[in-house]
Amino acid sequence: MSNRNRLYWILQLSGWAFVCLVVLFFAHVYKVKISNSVLLGRLAVLFVSGIATTHLLRIFLKWKGWMMLSIEKAIPRMIVALIVTSLLHTLIILWAIDLFKLYTENQKKLNFFARLFGSTVDNGLYILPWLLIYYFYHFIEKSRKQQLDTLQLKALIKELELKTIKAHINPHFIFNSLNSIRALIDENPQRARRAITELSNILRSSMQADKSETVSFEKELSIVKDYLALENMRFEDRLKVEYQIDEKTLDQPVPPMMLQTLVENAIKHGISKQINGGTIRIISDFSDQYHELAVQNTGILNGSMNAEGFGLSSTQNRLSLLYGDKASFQIRQINPSTVEAKLLLPVEAAKVFS
Amino acid sequence: MKAIIIDDERLARRELRRLLQDYPEIEVVDEAANADEGIAKIESQNPDLVFLDIQMPGKTGFDLLTSLEKAPHVIFTTAYDEYALKAFEVNALDYLLKPVEPKRLADAIQKLHITEARETVANENANRSLLTENDQVFVKDGERCWFVKLSDIRLFESVGNYAKVFFGNNKPLILKSLNALEERLDEKTFFRANRKHIINLRMIEKIEPYFNGGLLLELKGGEKIEVSRRQTVKFKEMMSL
Repeated sequence: MSNRNRLYWILQLSGWAFVCLVVLFFAHVYKVKISNSVLLGRLAVLFVSGIATTHLLRIFLKWKGWMMLSIEKAIPRMIVALIVTSLLHTLIILWAIDLFKLYTENQKKLNFFARLFGSTVDNGLYILPWLLIYYFYHFIEKSRKQQLDTLQLKALIKELELKTIKAHINPHFIFNSLNSIRALIDENPQRARRAITELSNILRSSMQADKSETVSFEKELSIVKDYLALENMRFEDRLKVEYQIDEKTLDQPVPPMMLQTLVENAIKHGISKQINGGTIRIISDFSDQYHELAVQNTGILNGSMNAEGFGLSSTQNRLSLLYGDKASFQIRQINPSTVEAKLLLPVEAAKVFS
Repeated sequence: MKAIIIDDERLARRELRRLLQDYPEIEVVDEAANADEGIAKIESQNPDLVFLDIQMPGKTGFDLLTSLEKAPHVIFTTAYDEYALKAFEVNALDYLLKPVEPKRLADAIQKLHITEARETVANENANRSLLTENDQVFVKDGERCWFVKLSDIRLFESVGNYAKVFFGNNKPLILKSLNALEERLDEKTFFRANRKHIINLRMIEKIEPYFNGGLLLELKGGEKIEVSRRQTVKFKEMMSL
């Protein structure tokens, strides 16, 4: 704010000084018959009154907030402001000229209203550029600020999106698991104990997922294994799980909870819809320059699942936020009874994030 | 009281069975792991009470209820299901959240005993093959669902293959023809006024003569229903001493 104030005063002083210089220059060129003391007096009056009236104008504009208005609304108001300020400026000058006896030869012959009118038009020509500069300075600043706000907002949205995407773990799953665990306490206490460990691992990693952009695939896979073990406890023989993991991919960095989301979807839209259940297969290997991660499940892909499922659209968004267009994600029916969700993560780009 | 548990997870059924051990009056006679199995078992066992999970493979618990002619007493069980919870909150149906809190289960069973006691008195002389005033039907319209007592229904209106059910401020559709309904409804209470309408005789507010020898009935909800000439004769017979 003080910076802006300083800029204002520099422009204000230098602007009116420039006006005075121009007047001085013309007085010299046209060899106006006027004594030096009167000329300097008149310039001083012009300088002081100019600064005073435009400063008043500035206070008024700020008070009314006219700088925030749209152009269509601002223009008629600015014209009125221009006329009033010019008139005020002229009245001050005329009054000072009378007070200090700073008449030129011509002016002595004219009556008050002629002088008032003529001078107002003259002075208006100084106030007009002042107003234009002032208005456009604010106009540009306003639009720049808007741009900045939009950018900040976008950054905020991106951050929030990443957060909510990561934190997402299906509450339906948590409560169902807890319910199964309660039943197991009698039936199979050892399995119940293990289930509690598995559930806490999942909850912990979903909370930690906020903190890092990537984790090693090995870590992600252990969460998925815990998750599937819990689902196995619920679905019992309705769920079969197969892993096809290339050991070399275990060190690869992957976005946390992304594979987990896909597996959750495969259960929710695939296995849990089948009365006789089905199989989930998790595949991880290298193909070309990509780390390929795939989740296959028994089921039929329906149209609505493509765009609507929170997991799927958020996976797409997350990938493009993290890797731009270098990574890809697709889900398709690979044979009449199997759906495959496949992620291709760039190996180099992935390293940048590690 | 005979009860059936319908849930796709064996452990969930087991846990509920264990909790119900504290209530000797409730006898769990059977279990089902999906909606179709559930429908078959409800029809063969004719239970007084059903514990019903909502999310199941194939059909949901709501689908199961809408395909039943007469809804038994139902206590829903669900882990966490925003949509279902919304439907419940609107209509205050009884539901239990899994894992089930024993106190909540006790409340639900208590509530059940109260309604049950009221109904046994009312139903003593009832003919069981017909739906009586105290029977309830399950109605689902989009996201909202209700258990409606037949005595609260003013009017059934035929809309193609569907029937529009008028009760309170609601008029949802059910997939039943008016003729099928007429066969199942007690004619002492429900009267076929014309081709398109079945009315609840206890919900009549005003009776006016209508042209052509018919009648115009105004119901408590403000609906005006014309009684056809043929049915007017029957109506007068029923209403006269």
